Amino acid sequence: MLIADCGSTWTKILETATGEVEIISTRELVRRGDLFFEVATGHSGKNRCGIYRNELIALAQGSLALVGDEDFSVVDVGGRDVKFIRFAGRKVKKLDWNLACGSSTGATIELLGNYYEVDFDGLPPSGRWINVTCGVFGMEKVLEHVSTGTPPEEAVAMFLHGMVRNVFDFSGRPEHLYLSGGFCENECFLKTMEKYCGVTPLGRTVPLEGLKDDI
Amino acid sequence: MSMTGNQGKLIGYFGFPRRRLLGEVRECFGTGLPLVDLDVAAGAPDSGLLPRATCRIISNIVDNAAQLGGRLAAVVAAVGEDKCDRGRHAAWILKGMGLEVFESRFPEDEFEDRPLVWSTGRGRLPHRVDRIMETIVDPSPPADPPAACEPTHGFWGVPPNDFRLLELFPETTHIYGWIRCVEAGRPSDLDLECMVDDSIPTVFFHQSFCAKQDLAHNLAEKYGGIAVDCHQEINDSILAKVEAFIRLS
Repeated sequence: MLIADCGSTWTKILETATGEVEIISTRELVRRGDLFFEVATGHSGKNRCGIYRNELIALAQGSLALVGDEDFSVVDVGGRDVKFIRFAGRKVKKLDWNLACGSSTGATIELLGNYYEVDFDGLPPSGRWINVTCGVFGMEKVLEHVSTGTPPEEAVAMFLHGMVRNVFDFSGRPEHLYLSGGFCENECFLKTMEKYCGVTPLGRTVPLEGLKDDI
Repeated sequence: MSMTGNQGKLIGYFGFPRRRLLGEVRECFGTGLPLVDLDVAAGAPDSGLLPRATCRIISNIVDNAAQLGGRLAAVVAAVGEDKCDRGRHAAWILKGMGLEVFESRFPEDEFEDRPLVWSTGRGRLPHRVDRIMETIVDPSPPADPPAACEPTHGFWGVPPNDFRLLELFPETTHIYGWIRCVEAGRPSDLDLECMVDDSIPTVFFHQSFCAKQDLAHNLAEKYGGIAVDCHQEINDSILAKVEAFIRLS
């Protein structure tokens, strides 16, 4: 049985019989009309599944499956948006979903990284930051910095730092955050976030864990 | 004021104008002339008179007025604290279009204290919001009042440009914010506007590019709700966010 989290830029697919997870670009998913899932979540999954689940609900269920704490906060930083849930006594205390302002910052950092050929694992965090109002405004700032002499790697790290500040504020400035999504694999992002709060990466498959409840 | 040759015309209004002024304009231009709420999205084409990144409700006012043009005998425009600065600017633009505009500033000494029948009743949220907005023109008690109910959820804010948002809420949702102020007959009562029930999960809605976002974000943070905004049409992400909040809270 296939279940999937079809994000805006990356699609995570779990074969429940084997536990194998395949990650493909959503660009490829869109081209492959034959892919169909028993259960799915995410922007691009709606029209290719038997059961569709709301992303925030999948994230909440997946977080509870992976984290044993009574009280905790989890934030999912995706390509297109940021989702946040705070649990108290393992009940949802607060949640939010940043859709418009701050949108597409995840996808933008990927574009910038590819364009400037940045190795995020080797990228040192920057003490400076760019005000990343949204992906487009942030990109404009990066281009401006590069054109005025800031090395591209530094400008991209500053963009990441701006993102981290947004995520930290959006999550209510907690002492500790569980992180979900592709940025769990971005060392520069993690190191930058540690300047603000403790962070535990949960990986890219948290919503998939939540979908297991629906099987 | 002129009153001749108004057959087939309309009287436009926006916001919550003073009842007395609305009555006087109707008396003058014809009590039989239908009233049209210019705030509402009615499918009017873009007049091009406002920037795209502005409040959709204000754009509705200007676009609707531009489309109706000479069919509008007069416009009664809420331009005070009960509306917003952009309402005042819209009135100025409408005057520039040659329309006869009567400005309304709802004073505190005309505040009413009407019962909150629809805000605290049980029933489909879009229907109850509609009924509240109708009280601007006809404040008489409803013949079919809903049964009062204990709230399970709250909706705070203004009538959204796209009412599909309201369809998500359970029938036991109480109404707060400016809509409640309208039902109470106190459209600029900031204390009433900011009053919510802190024991229920509440969605704080504002139109994008509206100054009420300051209240929505502050109140959402204070009471553990969520602030939601929308510019034109509601999209899947906004619906999903509200759906998750209602289900998980």
